Amino acid sequence: MAKKTYDLLFKLLLIGDSGVGKTCLLFRFSDDAFNTTFISTIGIDFKIKTVELGGKKIKLQIWDTAGQERFHTITTSYYRGAMGIMLVYDITNAKTFDNISKWLRNIDEHANEDVEKMILGNKCDIEDKRQVPKQRGESIAREHGIPFLETSAKSNVNVEKAFMDLAQAILNKTPSKDADGHNKAVDIHKSESKGRCC
Amino acid sequence: MLISDGTNAKALLCQRCPCRILNPLKGSFVRKEMFLPHMKKKSETQAPTDGETLNDYWLVHDMYTFENVGFSNAVGNTKYLICADCEIGPIGWQDTQNPKDIYVALDRVRHE
Repeated sequence: MAKKTYDLLFKLLLIGDSGVGKTCLLFRFSDDAFNTTFISTIGIDFKIKTVELGGKKIKLQIWDTAGQERFHTITTSYYRGAMGIMLVYDITNAKTFDNISKWLRNIDEHANEDVEKMILGNKCDIEDKRQVPKQRGESIAREHGIPFLETSAKSNVNVEKAFMDLAQAILNKTPSKDADGHNKAVDIHKSESKGRCC
Repeated sequence: MLISDGTNAKALLCQRCPCRILNPLKGSFVRKEMFLPHMKKKSETQAPTDGETLNDYWLVHDMYTFENVGFSNAVGNTKYLICADCEIGPIGWQDTQNPKDIYVALDRVRHE
């Protein structure tokens, strides 16, 4: 078999209320008229992206909850193997910000305790409908010791940076031995396919 | 020449955006019949499931071999591949019963 062409594999999740734009953070052009309706009808499961950080070639596998949050079914199996979580609210909808604490508890309960988190206030392009001041986002993030960014998937503000920052945070605490990273990566993949087949 | 020693001589890129899908020599050329829905709307009357049967594919055995790619939700036993950046697709498919076999259609990517 060909040898591995990357150094590390990071599994990232997007979490937050329905409608906060998680899907748009991951799927930037999903409403592009150029696409036929075929892909948008069936929806996207996950993406693999390759980035370079600190001289390492890193594969990011990025998952969206795909509406499971509506049924309160986000449990341990979804979080399994996750190394980074984007916790997203909508700055034009105060309720989604209030629920951030609830999501943080859910993460504490179900995810690995050393999972890296990041809070994103999305839709910052819609300033005239803003309900959540930036300071409130910064303040809850500081309280929990989590990095914070305001993003706009629509105007492509801070989206790339959010993923790179989260990847960097995971990289910072990854043991420098590559072999460790590889073993972890293989485990994630296995548990993933197991978790999703039923 | 697209094929070198049975593999892709050139990198596979998205047809619409600069996104790099697969590095050279990472996919094996295979012939296989598979129906794929169209990537572009070609007429007003086209249904989302209209498409064409394609025969030439690059076969990749590990999803992490890809530089950038997206997987759709499954339809039956099929997950479709899309560009990870602009999401045009399907550019190929994966049979969920043989998840280690992932196919990229030669006709649906740029070779560069």
